[in-house]
Amino acid sequence: MRFPSRLLAANLFFMALVWGVFYVVVTLITVAIAVFGTLRFSAWESAIQVSRWFLLFVGVALIKEFMPLYIAHGQTRRQFGWHAAVTTCLYAPAAAALLTLGYLLEAGLYGLAGWSQALQEPHLYDAPTQVPLVFVTFLIESLVWITGGAFMMAGFYRWRGGGLLTVPVGIALIVLAESSVGAQLYLPLLNRVPQPDITAGTLTAVAIGLACFLVGLALTWPIIRDVPLRNKPS
Amino acid sequence: MKIEVSGLRLDYGDVTALRDLTFTLDAGKIYGLLGRNGSGKTSLLSVLAAFRRQTAGTVLVGGRPVFENSKVTPDICLIRDTGETVDIGTANDALYFAEWLRPRWDAAYAESLMDRFRLTRKMKVGSMSKGQRSALGVVVGLASRAPITMFDESYLGMDAPSRHAFYDELLTDYMANPRTIILSTHLIEEAGALFEEVVIIDRGRLVLHEDSERLLARGTAVTGPAAQVDAFTAGLTTLGEKRLGGTKSTMIYGELDDAQRRKAREAGLELGPSAMQDLFIRLTEPEGEPS
Repeated sequence: MRFPSRLLAANLFFMALVWGVFYVVVTLITVAIAVFGTLRFSAWESAIQVSRWFLLFVGVALIKEFMPLYIAHGQTRRQFGWHAAVTTCLYAPAAAALLTLGYLLEAGLYGLAGWSQALQEPHLYDAPTQVPLVFVTFLIESLVWITGGAFMMAGFYRWRGGGLLTVPVGIALIVLAESSVGAQLYLPLLNRVPQPDITAGTLTAVAIGLACFLVGLALTWPIIRDVPLRNKPS
Repeated sequence: MKIEVSGLRLDYGDVTALRDLTFTLDAGKIYGLLGRNGSGKTSLLSVLAAFRRQTAGTVLVGGRPVFENSKVTPDICLIRDTGETVDIGTANDALYFAEWLRPRWDAAYAESLMDRFRLTRKMKVGSMSKGQRSALGVVVGLASRAPITMFDESYLGMDAPSRHAFYDELLTDYMANPRTIILSTHLIEEAGALFEEVVIIDRGRLVLHEDSERLLARGTAVTGPAAQVDAFTAGLTTLGEKRLGGTKSTMIYGELDDAQRRKAREAGLELGPSAMQDLFIRLTEPEGEPS
């Protein structure tokens, strides 16, 4: 089976653009806080909450935009599923690398300005400069948020309103993975999401994160394996 | 690639969209797929293109089942106005993926079609007019050079000059690169001249599958004094009639032999060709509905 070069390249290109804009905006806000208020914590840590939603919609777009595109161009659902899975596996490390790079660039800025890059929330890492742990955390988050988005969108694409039934399962996978890396999860309206207290080491966190990712893939495939393309625009 | 459909049925829940469809389409012809709104045209094309799996029956393309068959589906291209192949950012993005996913993609031809339809690669698909989106779909469909290329009313949003440019391009490219083309359309008079064969479906059933010329020959408008027309058409299959004063024009279905034609001439009746659209209207008219 072919390597999904263009699917991956298009998504990576878009992510790089978004990351660039996002980084500039966060940096400007950081400087504004430092100038007009008091900067005590890492701004990047707060800002990257948004990145999770971006990753969720990467998964949504895979199903909503790219799956119909593939099938309409004569590819099978199996070929698309393989390409989407490979793309997710390679996209997630790239996303994790960019998010980690954000911390490092922030560390440089904070160091130059003499600000304190303290963290407010618990993580698998204690400091933003613990690059391997930061990378692993973001890798797990990226894999699971993308897969969660794809799984829930697959449900909505196939069953429309019935797709709501996939939401609790999708959220459960995300919550479990986030808990394994010790991250706090916030959702609109719900604010802080109740999470299981998992005090996991790095290897356990990786194992739980990968398990959530694989379960997400395994649950998505039966939904799309014979899904009909809609006759009307979604 | 020959298309063989046998006992095809497609259900959407409790609604049956296609029922017991059986027909064969030989390779290398231009087919017109005609039907009223809701007749099942889109459903049929969607099954032929593996966009959805049939409920029952078989669909073979080149002798192979089509659904989820990677040996067959790359040879099939269905362009619908739902825009699966174009709703992906800019026109450039649509071409970027088409070039990669379509094994017979002709990039140079795509560029010439973009020029012909006055499209540019930087155009955002979401900001395009319906006509421009339709034209981009046409570009993708034609440049895919798929052995089976189908357009499901996907060019209806185009203005008249653009539609005629599409018909010209379709015919020119078909002559240069023969393949099976299926056009589903409501613009029968406009596109009818392109069809080599016509498939008419109504309420999910096959009404007719026939060579275009033979179909047109089967319909004859008999015009003259009402009494003579009635006498001549008695016992023949009539598809409809019109009256203007004492003159009547009755459309009959079925070929007339030489004796019948002579008889008509002797009765002072005029025999004229029927329009494909008129035949289509009559053939798909619900029973009991006045013509």
